[in-house]
Amino acid sequence: MSSKQSEPSSYSSSCLEVKGLTISRNEQVLLENIDLSFTSGSITHLFGENGAGKTSLMRALAGLLNHDSGQICWRGFKTSHPEANFSQDLLFLAHNLAMKSELTIAENLQFYTDLRGKSVSRSEIQTVASELRIESLLERHFAELSAGQQHKVSLSRLVLESAKLWVLDEPFVNLDARTRDWLSDKMMNFAKKGGVVIFTSHQAIDGLKIHQKVSLTHKDRNEQSEAAA
Amino acid sequence: MANSSMSSWRWFHQLGSPKWFYQKSAKWLPWLWAITTMLLAFGLYYSLYASPVDYQQGNSVRIMYIHVPAAALSMVGYLSMAVCAVIGLVWKMKMSFMAMRAIAPIGALFTLITLFTGSLWGLPTWGTWWEWDARMTSELVLLFLYLGFIALHSSFSDRNKADRSAAILAIVGAINVPIIYGSVKWWNTLHQAYSVTKKGAIAPEMQTPLFIMIGAFYLLFAIMVIVRLRLEIINREAKSKWLQAEITL
Amino acid sequence: MFITLLKRELMLARRNWVAVLIPLFFFIMVVSLFPFAVSPEAEFLRQIAPGVIWVSALLATLLSLDFFYRGDYQDGSLEQLLIMSSPTQVALSKVVAHWLVTGLPLVLVSPLLAGLMHLNYSPDGILLERGHTPIMMFSLLLGTPSLCLLGAIGMSLSLGASRNGMLVAVMILPLYVPILIFGSAVITASLGNSGYNAQLAILAAILLFALTLTPFAIGRALKVAVS
Repeated sequence: MSSKQSEPSSYSSSCLEVKGLTISRNEQVLLENIDLSFTSGSITHLFGENGAGKTSLMRALAGLLNHDSGQICWRGFKTSHPEANFSQDLLFLAHNLAMKSELTIAENLQFYTDLRGKSVSRSEIQTVASELRIESLLERHFAELSAGQQHKVSLSRLVLESAKLWVLDEPFVNLDARTRDWLSDKMMNFAKKGGVVIFTSHQAIDGLKIHQKVSLTHKDRNEQSEAAA
Repeated sequence: MANSSMSSWRWFHQLGSPKWFYQKSAKWLPWLWAITTMLLAFGLYYSLYASPVDYQQGNSVRIMYIHVPAAALSMVGYLSMAVCAVIGLVWKMKMSFMAMRAIAPIGALFTLITLFTGSLWGLPTWGTWWEWDARMTSELVLLFLYLGFIALHSSFSDRNKADRSAAILAIVGAINVPIIYGSVKWWNTLHQAYSVTKKGAIAPEMQTPLFIMIGAFYLLFAIMVIVRLRLEIINREAKSKWLQAEITL
Repeated sequence: MFITLLKRELMLARRNWVAVLIPLFFFIMVVSLFPFAVSPEAEFLRQIAPGVIWVSALLATLLSLDFFYRGDYQDGSLEQLLIMSSPTQVALSKVVAHWLVTGLPLVLVSPLLAGLMHLNYSPDGILLERGHTPIMMFSLLLGTPSLCLLGAIGMSLSLGASRNGMLVAVMILPLYVPILIFGSAVITASLGNSGYNAQLAILAAILLFALTLTPFAIGRALKVAVS
């Protein structure tokens, strides 16, 4: 149950460490005694069949799901520790897009950047929107958009909010080829600047350089971790 | 630092081990039953037969020997639920949540007994089976609190969530109980239409059987909690090997 | 950060202004049912007015909770709020918004209901110079925030549950008893021309007590709901 990194593991400033993590639900163990480490500048692909606990692991990393035992540390501090500044560094995108249908796209995005205490200019929002081809929709209410467009709005948070750790649950699902490339690009850029990316996906993503693959298997609870070439 | 916190965790874990409790409680139960039966039989004989008749209330005073112990346990029950809730939330002790869940319906039952015997006593004394008397009204609100707890706990599919949510409600409720009692008492003195309050000190020949009955009720409560807790353990640990071994033995 | 959260809640309420007005309509309608159900006689209405107004305010507060919690829970916003800021702040922002949007309007429309319930006439039917309306409003002003705070606990606890609506009422109504007792006692005392300062002081004490403790319970309950 060791995890190897393809890149030299220096205990760098932004690094997520998972030690002995056990998660259970209704007295049934979902994940048992998991050790993982995510170094600064790495992209990790979490995969495994449905029900293997990928989402549970991500939610536990985000501090939403209680774990039975084990530790999750960010920059050497427990994630709940104020010194870790984890809530400001983490950006977690789940299945639920967490956008209010009665607010406009711009208002939705503005709120999240405000919550990070970061002032984002109108032109920054417009730049991202035009990259994703939703610039004409900024003043529309979120509910008026198609599912694909809504997904793009959620993805633009990645660029607007200055997080250090991205935890993305199925970010590539239902994306057109162009947006998929855009997302892979952003992920690699982010990693290059020292960010940490953890994402789940059922299929391999062409053109995305992955540093670590973690496979979660159902029931027999053996997670394998292998270094990608 | 991390190490010492780990070991204290483990100590708690052992204390709250379902397996340990399940096995030990099987040995306690016969003894508890024996003592409780004896105490209850003696207490009932003493209070229903051998104790004097009240010069004002007549034989209906004997209802008190059931009413007062039940009332005491109804409140102790809610308080112990809240204590279990705190232990469960702070130390993540599963057994504590199980105990909390086991206590709830038993506490509600004792509250119901209190209300029932209270109205039974009220019928000859007040001339009506329900009077908005401060104690009775507080017991009624306490019953509502129990029912709210049970309703909440049974509304979740995820047991972990049910435990933690209900624990928060139990703590909030327990903090509110004295406030509710105080305000109901104040409200009652404001609208004093009817009031037969307890008179002076209780006679010693009534005190002894009352204490015996209170003791017996405490033990009865404990037995019921233990039995329910064992059922709860069977329910939750059904997949564990130790329990399967225990039951097939 | 609290200001950002509060601004968001108020903006959402403004976009859904009809949903926000419904509790107010409810409040007025429930009170105006009583003359039909019992008697339109002034003397009688005045006697039951304190209880009727307080029970209606309490139910209106309880029924309006849903709007501020359910939506955020369902679309995943609540998770994001709890990740990005502290649970206590999220809880407080929601309670403050809930009170500003429903509690305060209840206080402001209550004079209308005082009129409907003939609160401002003396027992012999003469319009009083200084009616009981201000003191009624003051009791509601002190009591409704406590109703919002306690109600928020029940609402947050019920978010992850399979049945809700009634569940919140069953959990929270017993906890409302002290507020109901002292809130209506203030008006009753005023009607009977006796002192009401003690009752007001207790309402204020309950509010302070609730304000210091409940945000933690609400925050904790919200965390459990998203787990």
